[in-house]
Amino acid sequence: MFSTALRQSTRLQRSLQSRRNLQTASTVNAAEIAHFSRLSSLWWDEHGEFAFLHRMNPVRMQFVRDKLLEIARDEGDENTARLGAGRDALSGLDVLDVGCGGGLLSESLARLGARTLGIDASESNIGIASLHASADPQLSSQPGSPSSSGSLQYRNTSAEELLKDKKRYDVVCSMEVIEHVDNPPAFLSACAELVKPGGHLFLSTIARTPLSYLLTIVAAEYVLRKVAVGTHTYSKFVNPSELVSFFREYHSPSPLPSPGADSTRPSRPWITRTYDNGLPTRTEAEIRGLIYVPWKGDWVLMPRSSTAWGAAECNYMFWVRKPAE
Amino acid sequence: MASLSVRRALKRSGSQILTRQRRTSSRAYSSENVEDTDVVIVGGGPAGLALASALTSHKIVCDSLKVTLVEAGDLSKVQDWSLEPNVFSNRVSSITNSSRAFLEGIGVWDYVDEARTTPIQQMQVWDGVSDARITFDASDIPLGSSNVPECSHMAQMTENLNLQRALLRRLSTIQGLKLLQRVKVDLIQRENRESGTGWPLVHLSDGSVLRTRLLVGADGFNSPVRSYAGISSYGWSYDTQAIVATLNHFERSPFQAPNNTAYQRFLPTGPIAFLPLSPTVSSLVWSTKPPLAAILSKSEPGVLECMINAVFRLPEISVRYLHQRILDSGSGMSKEQIQEEIAWRERSDSIPSHSAYASASKSASEGGIPPSDAEAIPSLVTSIQAGTVASFPLRFNHADSYIGEGAGSRTVLIGDAAHTVHPLAGQGLNLGLGDVEALTRCIIRALGQGADIGSYTALIPYARERYFENHKVMAAVDKLHKLYSSTAAPVVWARSVGVEVLNELDSVKAALMMNAGAYGHTGGNNGSGWNVLARGVEVLAGTASAGKMLGAGLSGVIGQGLQTLLKSGGQR
Ligand SMILES: Cc1cc2nc3c(=O)[nH]c(=O)nc-3n(C[C@H](O)[C@H](O)[C@H](O)COP(=O)(O)OP(=O)(O)OC[C@H]3O[C@@H](n4cnc5c(N)ncnc54)[C@H](O)[C@@H]3O)c2cc1C
Repeated sequence: MFSTALRQSTRLQRSLQSRRNLQTASTVNAAEIAHFSRLSSLWWDEHGEFAFLHRMNPVRMQFVRDKLLEIARDEGDENTARLGAGRDALSGLDVLDVGCGGGLLSESLARLGARTLGIDASESNIGIASLHASADPQLSSQPGSPSSSGSLQYRNTSAEELLKDKKRYDVVCSMEVIEHVDNPPAFLSACAELVKPGGHLFLSTIARTPLSYLLTIVAAEYVLRKVAVGTHTYSKFVNPSELVSFFREYHSPSPLPSPGADSTRPSRPWITRTYDNGLPTRTEAEIRGLIYVPWKGDWVLMPRSSTAWGAAECNYMFWVRKPAE
Repeated sequence: MASLSVRRALKRSGSQILTRQRRTSSRAYSSENVEDTDVVIVGGGPAGLALASALTSHKIVCDSLKVTLVEAGDLSKVQDWSLEPNVFSNRVSSITNSSRAFLEGIGVWDYVDEARTTPIQQMQVWDGVSDARITFDASDIPLGSSNVPECSHMAQMTENLNLQRALLRRLSTIQGLKLLQRVKVDLIQRENRESGTGWPLVHLSDGSVLRTRLLVGADGFNSPVRSYAGISSYGWSYDTQAIVATLNHFERSPFQAPNNTAYQRFLPTGPIAFLPLSPTVSSLVWSTKPPLAAILSKSEPGVLECMINAVFRLPEISVRYLHQRILDSGSGMSKEQIQEEIAWRERSDSIPSHSAYASASKSASEGGIPPSDAEAIPSLVTSIQAGTVASFPLRFNHADSYIGEGAGSRTVLIGDAAHTVHPLAGQGLNLGLGDVEALTRCIIRALGQGADIGSYTALIPYARERYFENHKVMAAVDKLHKLYSSTAAPVVWARSVGVEVLNELDSVKAALMMNAGAYGHTGGNNGSGWNVLARGVEVLAGTASAGKMLGAGLSGVIGQGLQTLLKSGGQR
């Protein structure tokens, strides 16, 4: 397993090299990919380096699921009662997981009924993710299995590359990725462009605060050695207010090229108004802090009311909705 | 009786699995007859059947999971089980109000034959040495403290078979479960996968193999799933055997309360309990030394009856004397011999023949106005129902973990596979039902989050909710047992003085009140009662072994503990 991963990562390095020579507009940082490739075979060790991701995943899923149900309910979707109780909360939705890693989030999305595509710039991550999913009959969607699962596919590509396809997604997720990319605005635009009008973008990342520096770099990497040294770079952390400003400015530059639509009409920004404290309205975007509670040994999603910014002092979830046009 | 053979089968299968596993662990399985499934529950005892019922009562489970239950025994016998109205099985458990509420919630209680159950209205517990006694009843349960609405009783005596039959009847109305009976789990292997994410392969005695996402060990004390998971456990066997039997006795007179008081007398050899089943039938659980249990459970008809009556009535010193006489006799004594001995002890203890404490020298025990002390002890036993005398070794055992890791991952333990406890507080089965409730909640929640329910992460909330909760109860029960079987001088001295002992009994009371469902096992914040109890008992045991039984200080600690307990209960 290890040797395969190694071989894969060298191959990956080579392909990256060639890609850079071709001057492909890529926001992917080669050094960071190499770093994760080394670790990717350890992805599914729930007690290993990625333990914190495994622990975080249920809370992230809860946020995604609850937010989608909340919006559906707001819009008077009669199916929400059914969705709320069942395992098919995402059924019928096209969902993209950008930077899927070993497939932790992608698998959960597929189990909730989404037609899921997981993409990752690391070939070895895609290998690990595909291998892992193939062990699970619920994900390899055998005929006759009682599961109401959607489908699950993986592709070794980047968000920018995927834009070349015509396909757009009801939901785009990118968890713990933006703090690792070289050009966050370009990355955000790519993710945003992959969302269908009226669709949803979910991000999770780390705020740039003294607390996050202490917890994610000093404590996790150097003191506790829970995460390999070099996993995070403090200057790349993104603050929630920066995401809000980005989407206050951001217009979808390329409305779908459908012949009937008036493609020249300027679209409105994703976030049109904010409160005095800078927070967006609940129907356009939301920020919720995620904190690790040591005595519970678990991640907890901070309640909306906890502080103005959802206590997003360190890890947080971000949701924003693309205007329906 | 059925459970006896089950127990034996369990022992056999446990050891077989271990040896076969060693021999065949490298054997490749043929993939043709491997069937993929999501949950395999090993064991069709109360815990396994309850889990199957609880899971399949949720639509989300039926829609998205394949659930299989495997039981070595013949469950059709349990399903068809039926006895004459006043004939009872010897395996009986007190179902707490919170367990009952849980069973109602999953649609099982409707199938319990309630006519065969008896609500416990009152409990009397006394120290066999000092005779210090406490009596408490349903009104002692702080109102509104339980998750059960208004309840006029403390617990409900229910035959295990009555409950298991109800579970099976409920399950027969459900599509979502595959129930395999008279099929044994022969061997559990780990699937060989390059990616290191091999799932458990469960080899069955019918030749089929189940590949499962989650393997649940509801397979009792000798749990083969626990050994596959490589989970070790911590425990010991008490040098104690529990004799169980179904007792016929006199009906209580119209001047007395009906037969719904549970009696328990704590003797240095272990507690003896009398648990009502009907106006003229009760269940016995008598924990005592193994050699004595061996002789008594094989003794000629009438001997055990006489001894039960005497052991509830005579002073401890006389009980000790009788025990010695029986042990000295080797093969046991005749009914006449034992009656003679008891009558002699009654005379020398100056128990008047009209007293309720007289059994052998009694002239006419039924009819008329009962003696004033009759409420303090159970009715006189007249005979034992045929074939109901059995005995079980008692042990304390707690698995080091409820979830398997590494090579044993995708496994989880519930019920006696996870923990075995002394029956003195009637908790074993109730703890198992508490596990089932928590595990079901955990799985439902994980399903809603799209989790892989076999993963360690998905199962953590279950272990977190149950492990320390169970541990607290088990430790408190264990300490109570030790305290009462102690012959350490300070403890005995305290008993002889009798005053402080009342406070020990307060701990027993707290334990039994918890049993009564005053502190339900639903929700997270229910540990306070047991916390206080555990702390109280701990202090007491610590003080006793340190040899400074300073009455005032001690009664303060325990008394305060109990007060806090009752108060906190009342506020909720
Ligand atoms: C004397 C006595 C009195 C008690 N009184 C009370 C009381 O008042 N209140 C209370 O709450 N509890 C009481 N208990 C405890 C209670 O009886 C147990 O806690 C309870 O029966 C445990 O249920 P379980 O389902 O976990 O395990 P078990 O009942 O032991 O069931 C395990 C099942 O697994 C099956 N199995 C095992 N191995 C295999 C295999 N390889 N393949 C297939 N099947 C297998 C067995 O056949 C068995 O049916 C008492 C116990 C004793 C000994």
